[in-house]
Amino acid sequence: MQTIRIEKPDVTRARETVVTEAAVLEAKEVTIRYGDFAAVKGIELTIPENRITAIIGPSGCGKSTLLRAFNRMNDFILNHSISGEVRYRSIELYRPSVDPAEVRRRIGMVFQKPNPFPRSIAKNVSWGPLINGFKGDEDALVEESLRKAALWDEVKDRLQASAHSLSGGQQQRLCIARAIAMNPDVILMDEPCSALDPISTARIEDLLFSLRAHYTLVIVTHNMQQAARVSDYTAFLEAGELIEYGKTADIFTRPQKKRTLDYVTGRFG
Amino acid sequence: MNDTVRPPISWNGERTDQLDRRHRRAEQFRLWCAMMTGAGCLLLVVLLLNIWLGGWRWLDWHFLTSYPSRFAAQAGLKSALAGSVWVMGLTALFSIPIGVCAAIYLEEYARPNLINTIIEVTIANLAGVPSIVFGMLGLVIFVRGFALGRSVLAGALTMTLLVLPIVIIASREALRSVPVTIRQGAFALGASRWQTVYHHVLAMASPGIMTGIILALSRAMGETAPLIMIGALTYVAFVPAGPMDAFTALPIQIFNWVSRPQQEFHGLAAAAIIVLLGVLILLNGLAIYLRQRSQRRIG
Repeated sequence: MQTIRIEKPDVTRARETVVTEAAVLEAKEVTIRYGDFAAVKGIELTIPENRITAIIGPSGCGKSTLLRAFNRMNDFILNHSISGEVRYRSIELYRPSVDPAEVRRRIGMVFQKPNPFPRSIAKNVSWGPLINGFKGDEDALVEESLRKAALWDEVKDRLQASAHSLSGGQQQRLCIARAIAMNPDVILMDEPCSALDPISTARIEDLLFSLRAHYTLVIVTHNMQQAARVSDYTAFLEAGELIEYGKTADIFTRPQKKRTLDYVTGRFG
Repeated sequence: MNDTVRPPISWNGERTDQLDRRHRRAEQFRLWCAMMTGAGCLLLVVLLLNIWLGGWRWLDWHFLTSYPSRFAAQAGLKSALAGSVWVMGLTALFSIPIGVCAAIYLEEYARPNLINTIIEVTIANLAGVPSIVFGMLGLVIFVRGFALGRSVLAGALTMTLLVLPIVIIASREALRSVPVTIRQGAFALGASRWQTVYHHVLAMASPGIMTGIILALSRAMGETAPLIMIGALTYVAFVPAGPMDAFTALPIQIFNWVSRPQQEFHGLAAAAIIVLLGVLILLNGLAIYLRQRSQRRIG
């Protein structure tokens, strides 16, 4: 216990030394509580543009809570409160005038378990744009989104089939296609591969690289190898605090904190 | 005293005593359950057979298209059938929108606070209130208070009160069974709560909601007490032409015929029960059809 106290994160230094690219998302002194329990404690984090940022940490460390704060998906949790600032391109997302739906149109999300709508494959992709007033060519949008999500070749002959007829890995790529169809700026991914087999996981990881050019990606994962493989930056959270944040190579090869070293080398967690 | 449950290593491939006992017990339980199922079915078959034997001779086109009469040979249940259809139609018209919307509010919008908790508890309790109490309520509010008289409308509104708690509870159950992840998926695309509920939650819950509605209406179809309470007539020699007309209903007609001393009328009552059961089976068949159709659509 004592060691945690000593290694309290030196956030200001971390921020200065880390991100050199333009910031898309910024968390400033963000604390998130469920009732009395603080799931996220005073986190400072900057998410760079067109990069993949991984958030890692042991179960229950607050990484998913932090992720959901970026597109206001915590709003649905009762007894939830947030303090500090979450900024998206310098807009404070928790300002009263900000409509959460407006936030989510720009910042998409892929969930832990594939959750396609119980409709056709095509409708899953086009529904988001349609309810947001899309007037363009629906078929072209579906094809383009499915191509970007590396799913087109597998489903092009059965676009009208139910999304639930797809395998788990295909369903998750469909959910990514659904997010892409909104043409978002950022895509948040909450352990997108945790329910998938290794082959599906590999396909999604390949997909992440191709998406990196168009979108800013934030991926929560409990799989350290995955974070090491896919991400440019890695944030290590423990018990709601940001222990260390930096270039992925640095976090995994020469972390500055002992806790980080212990975690990434598998000595705990 | 053995400190392990592992059987001896030496084993001749046969079942040991201990496992044998457990299997026998399991078999006994299976038999017991099968017997109970059989008993239930047997009772139902005896009941149906009894009614069928008593009434099938009276069952013909004339029976369905004639008005009641004091001569058994001429009596029919045209007015009762028409009255039941009228009351059920209006009850469905009133109770479906109110019930489903109330369920959506409670399940999708309401936050757990004192008022909503009171509403929930009250609805649950109302579902258990005896139907005659709803009849009294209908008599005071609709027949007298709103001066609707002994009309189809008063009967339908009373029946609406009776089925609303059931419709609301069944609909809430159906809405609750839709996974939260579907709602999250929709919200994450910038959908409003209405878009989320209407396009996905309601679509997925609709088979369950429809089943609940039809079961509630089936129950109302057989209810006699509240209609007698609000003063539905037992002898009606006309078909209601509008919601303000007097009416009778199938269960009331059955009650009327059963209470007569002549044997022939008991046969008529049995025939009317067959018709009522036929309508109920049709309704339930419709429920199954709708359920399967929308399930296929949802996939």
